Amino acid sequence: MLSEPMLINIGPQHPATHGVLRLICELDGETVLKVTPDIGFLHSSFEKLGEYRTWNQIVPLTDRMDYLAPLMYNCVYVMAVEKLMGLEVTERCKVARVLCMEMERIFSHLLWLGTTAIDVGAFTPFLYAFQERERIYTLHENYTGARITTSATRVGGMMADFPDGWTDSLRDFVKTFPKTLNEIDSLLTTNGIHLGRTLDIGVISGEDAINYGFTGPNLRASGVDYDLRKDNPYYDYETYDFDVPIGENGDCYDRYLVRMEEMRQSLRILEQALDRLPGGPINVADPRVSLPSKTDCMNDMESMIHHFKLITEGISVPAGDCYFAVEGTKGELGMYVVSDGGEKPVRWRIRPPSFVNLSVIAKLAEGHLVSDLIMINASLDIVLGEIDR
Amino acid sequence: MAGENGSAFDAVEQGPEASGRNTETPHGGVGNPAEHPSVTALQGRFDSAVLRHEVQAGDQHVVFLDPGSNRAVLAWLRDDPEQRYDLLVDVTAVDYGGGRPLQIVYQLWSVPHKRALRIKCELPLDGLSIDSVVQLWNAANWLEREVYDLFGVEFRDHPDLRRILMPQNYAEGHPLRKDFPLRGRFSRAEQTRRALSQDYHDDYTPEELEVGGAPGLAPPELPISTDEVGTRLD
Amino acid sequence: MGMSDGEGTDPLSLAEIEALGQAEGRQGGLLGFGHPTFLTTKVDFVVNWARRNSLWPMPFGTACCAIEMMASAASNFDLARFGMERMSFSPRQADVLICAGRVPYKLAPVLRRIWDQMMQPKWCISMGACASSGGVFDTYSMVQGIDTIVPVDVYVPGCPPRPEGLIYGLMMIQEKIRHESLTEHYSLRAENPSLVGRPRAGDEEVEALAGPFGNSTQQDQLSSAAQTTRPERSEDLLP
Repeated sequence: MLSEPMLINIGPQHPATHGVLRLICELDGETVLKVTPDIGFLHSSFEKLGEYRTWNQIVPLTDRMDYLAPLMYNCVYVMAVEKLMGLEVTERCKVARVLCMEMERIFSHLLWLGTTAIDVGAFTPFLYAFQERERIYTLHENYTGARITTSATRVGGMMADFPDGWTDSLRDFVKTFPKTLNEIDSLLTTNGIHLGRTLDIGVISGEDAINYGFTGPNLRASGVDYDLRKDNPYYDYETYDFDVPIGENGDCYDRYLVRMEEMRQSLRILEQALDRLPGGPINVADPRVSLPSKTDCMNDMESMIHHFKLITEGISVPAGDCYFAVEGTKGELGMYVVSDGGEKPVRWRIRPPSFVNLSVIAKLAEGHLVSDLIMINASLDIVLGEIDR
Repeated sequence: MAGENGSAFDAVEQGPEASGRNTETPHGGVGNPAEHPSVTALQGRFDSAVLRHEVQAGDQHVVFLDPGSNRAVLAWLRDDPEQRYDLLVDVTAVDYGGGRPLQIVYQLWSVPHKRALRIKCELPLDGLSIDSVVQLWNAANWLEREVYDLFGVEFRDHPDLRRILMPQNYAEGHPLRKDFPLRGRFSRAEQTRRALSQDYHDDYTPEELEVGGAPGLAPPELPISTDEVGTRLD
Repeated sequence: MGMSDGEGTDPLSLAEIEALGQAEGRQGGLLGFGHPTFLTTKVDFVVNWARRNSLWPMPFGTACCAIEMMASAASNFDLARFGMERMSFSPRQADVLICAGRVPYKLAPVLRRIWDQMMQPKWCISMGACASSGGVFDTYSMVQGIDTIVPVDVYVPGCPPRPEGLIYGLMMIQEKIRHESLTEHYSLRAENPSLVGRPRAGDEEVEALAGPFGNSTQQDQLSSAAQTTRPERSEDLLP
């Protein structure tokens, strides 16, 4: 009997789609002939909202897109605005933001690790990973007051300096985290079942990966050496001593290995950044963005007016546009801000790495089984908040 | 923040307004094209297509192209060994409002040469149509669909140009345009009603609906209404 | 008390139930007929105890709140000690729908369908500011509170609420279940069968739920005064 292809719908409500993603699969038995992702189930119109908010009011919006690495988004948005303004932040702020960004890389990769393991049926790494994430949640909370929606940066600096003892807790985390990472490593990396589920699954070559717009660990797993921290460095990344793991085969296993190794390299960067964290102010004392001190406000009229204008109107950014990208947790995270000299952006565009990464799933999953489709989806490390914005 | 004589909340009804400081589309600083090898090469080779060049944010070079020749120039930028912009980072659009032309923005990166370049094409609001570059970079597929969905720009020769973020039955227009109000054009009641009455046949392409020879996916409507269920005694 | 679903049977109030019982001439007796008795209260106690200590949540997680929900289920906060060991991803086997995260209009029919597929008795928690009222997102694409689509029992505010907050919300559901009564069960849980299964909300109900904050531009202190008449919007007549 000739078998006919079948159309099934995975999602949008599904435990393994990592968010509200709908995958329309044409199957021949268990083999995927074609898969089409359908997105938009989390479209929250951030970009439109941004046009109604002043430059600093957009920072809380940035947490809610990639909710797995909120500080990363906070940082890249203000970095883009600062570049457009030509504003240079203090040395302490630069190192502080590097600390935040690398901490978020570990934070996001831990969630990826936990949920990918759970997708292949391994429940224990999920619990271990979440236990470690709780320590980073505590660090977030001690610094910003919120576990997830941190909103820690402002144009020109950060919302506040680190509280006493925060860097010691972070150092503590950096020292003790490798132990858990090694435990999870021993559970998965040489595990026969995990190898069977990930080796040679979802292979993509380097040139195809670039053409399809892959960035981040997905691209590096296919053998392409493109990491914004090395190729277009910012915040003195060229002075930090770290390696960028590059894969060979471009399959799910390589994507797994690249992310595991990236966590270890982030630990190296964190240690170096903690060692070199300078003293001094965390916010730059630039009249375009900084509020004058209360003493000055009470003593002279100009400071009072300056304070008043900055509070009521917000900062104003000169006309122009700027695209600024960092090596985000999922790939090249870019922010394109367009200003016409006012207090609100004309256009705020987020270049979401997961959006472009997800579009490749059709090519990756052809010919594989349905269960491999789930594994491929997990290995891409997508977050729907960022895809749908 | 406050409008001329209206309340501060007028913008919410009418769509975001520019701050009104510049009446022209903001231009960047005049920069030295020689600082960027691709810009000089472009100006030399595609003299008629390159309309102008700008430098934004200190060191970001932007080249404005004639929209009709975007595919030719971008193909050369991708293939020429000195340029090799093999990674299409982003395709987006900027609507400045007030009747000004819409800009389509291409952000390019060359992996071998480690260079970035921004290309812009300006389209008049009554002619929002441009050639698609999906044939050059597959990354453009979804990125152009999003620009179509949110701005209403038609990309000619795009393999699958339909809405991507908004529902397929969305009838209020293209949300990121400046004349589109923040809360949408319909009332909340109407939006809820339309959302709950989405026909999921719209979610599938015609090819998908034909898969397996299955002409329809929904179970057929019951021959009697559910009010009558249980009342018929045959 | 009681939840109406737009056009359909209104649930009976306790007074009406009592009146029925009296009209039928049966006031007491062991089984009551709508009027709680000694035997039914004992049965209620056991049934409610069983139900509230073995709730199976249906995690309808969309955004950041979903991550906090996952954190609640993980070892540090552990929902399993409340009986919610098994997160049921199939609505047919779930008791509580935890809607965690923002719900855009594109997702609204999905949420409605999941709710309709759940078997009675079922409860709903709206977790987070976005699910309760739209949150930060008063925009063209966001449902301004899932109570415009599904009936909500407990609202957990926060952006996102801490895991302790979600746990408190679940405990409130448990408290609500403690006070349920089988004799009133049918009236409390009445859903008009013609509305179930087909994701439609009645026009008047949607209209009532959508105002006065509907599309009002007066989102300032003066807007607390409810608009009594809604002016007809010509844009609603667009195809």
